[in-house]
Amino acid sequence: MVEKLLYRTRSVCPTCLKPIDAERISRGKKIFLRKTCHKHGTFETIIWRGNYDIGPWINIDEQELPKDLQCPNGCGLCSNHLTNTCCVVLNITDRCNLSCKFCFADPDNRSNDPSFDEIKKSLYNVISKGKSLVQLSGGEPTVREDLVEIVRAAKEAGAKYVQLNTNGVLLGENKQLVKELAEAGLSFVFLQFDGTEDAIYEQLRNKPLLSIKQKAIENCAEYNIGVTLVATLVRDINLNNIGKIISYGLERVPCVRGVHFQPVSFFGRIPKMPSDNDRITIDELIYEIESQTKGIIKSDNLLPSSCYHPLCSFHGDFLINNDSVVPLQNIRNLENETPPTPAADPADRNREFIGRRWERPTPLKSDPFKPTALKSASSKNTPKPCCGNIHDMDYFLKIAKSHSFTITSMLFQDAGNIDFSRLRRCSLHVYDNEKFIPFCAYYLSEWEK
Amino acid sequence: MADTEKLICNKCNKELEPIKTNFSYLGHSFFTDLPKCPKCGMVYISEEFVKSRISEVEMQLEDK
Repeated sequence: MVEKLLYRTRSVCPTCLKPIDAERISRGKKIFLRKTCHKHGTFETIIWRGNYDIGPWINIDEQELPKDLQCPNGCGLCSNHLTNTCCVVLNITDRCNLSCKFCFADPDNRSNDPSFDEIKKSLYNVISKGKSLVQLSGGEPTVREDLVEIVRAAKEAGAKYVQLNTNGVLLGENKQLVKELAEAGLSFVFLQFDGTEDAIYEQLRNKPLLSIKQKAIENCAEYNIGVTLVATLVRDINLNNIGKIISYGLERVPCVRGVHFQPVSFFGRIPKMPSDNDRITIDELIYEIESQTKGIIKSDNLLPSSCYHPLCSFHGDFLINNDSVVPLQNIRNLENETPPTPAADPADRNREFIGRRWERPTPLKSDPFKPTALKSASSKNTPKPCCGNIHDMDYFLKIAKSHSFTITSMLFQDAGNIDFSRLRRCSLHVYDNEKFIPFCAYYLSEWEK
Repeated sequence: MADTEKLICNKCNKELEPIKTNFSYLGHSFFTDLPKCPKCGMVYISEEFVKSRISEVEMQLEDK
């Protein structure tokens, strides 16, 4: 088949992590990243399966990479980095209460946690008052006994949003903890949620976890903490569960604020080296979302990120009204009627989008949409949807705050598919050792020799 | 502008009345009551309305 060179970029050798030249090439509708290490050979990875045309999707002016690019070894945000920080990840522990098959953080459970004072110092270093979104991560952050104090300290330092990245086990077991986190100012929970069947958790997390996830969602609902369900997708385990995960989330609006998909990446703890068949590409994921939701979510309503590289992330923004899923953006409408170019930095806009959608508004006593605590996993007991005329401007503005639902995705890069053109547009930064490091550079790990 | 203040159409000299008015943006349509001249149909859109509700609707609909 005829090959076409699409873009010259840089990557790393998966075996020795040495930065090397790479190219995106097409064969038919499929796109690959290919690179050659003089010592370890040629590597090729699929990055687009051709379900849609990649041309319009990459809606950025992708210039030739600078000659002096130091990725990933010089990472710590240099003058060649193109985006500002949208969200800061702060790892507050290396310990974890699960032992998962895949884990990018691959916690060793042996390192000493940073002290509260060290974390507090980091918080003051990273937070711009009234603006920052801090993700408390790990390891599993809820294993720290002073988590509530850390959340409170983040708010006192001026964080606009505090996000908890968690497997949810302790949030399900300990309602008092959820109450205290809410009182301390936790904005939302990013809840590991890989599927609607225990068999999925048994394969991915080595335990049946569905009921404890459900309990965590109920506890968050009771204390008005928004929950975004985060699914790590693995082809033979839960790729075919996408539609059910979305339905599960939709049935739990307004407590559940959205679903976030992370196709598995091969860094940290992985069971085996990946083949192309193990990779779930961005176009494949979009195709599966439309197909498995039977068109309730359409590909036209899922847009490439304007904050990250289009091959890294996409988002869809919806309202739930009268049992209907109403898309707020359509790629065709945006093409036909271009809104004014926003003046704000893309990282600022993305952060505000996340905050606006994932945080639940404070309920008013007279608010007809005040949150309902979920009673059980049964859809019979899920909150009643909003019922009104969505064309009524006042009603629209009300439910846009309370009954929004996002479908988002982040495709992390690993040693096989890392592309420096993508990396230099990353706005999710891990703060460590007084440096802001793009997420995929921070967690990059070599494959076995 | 205070709610009690009357608005008079400059052209028809008629008092404006709150009448259902339609808007559309990025493929979505909305209605709300706005002061409108019952004779010529001219609609008065206040700066306050633009800076609050119209601006909020735009923010919700525009891509992040």
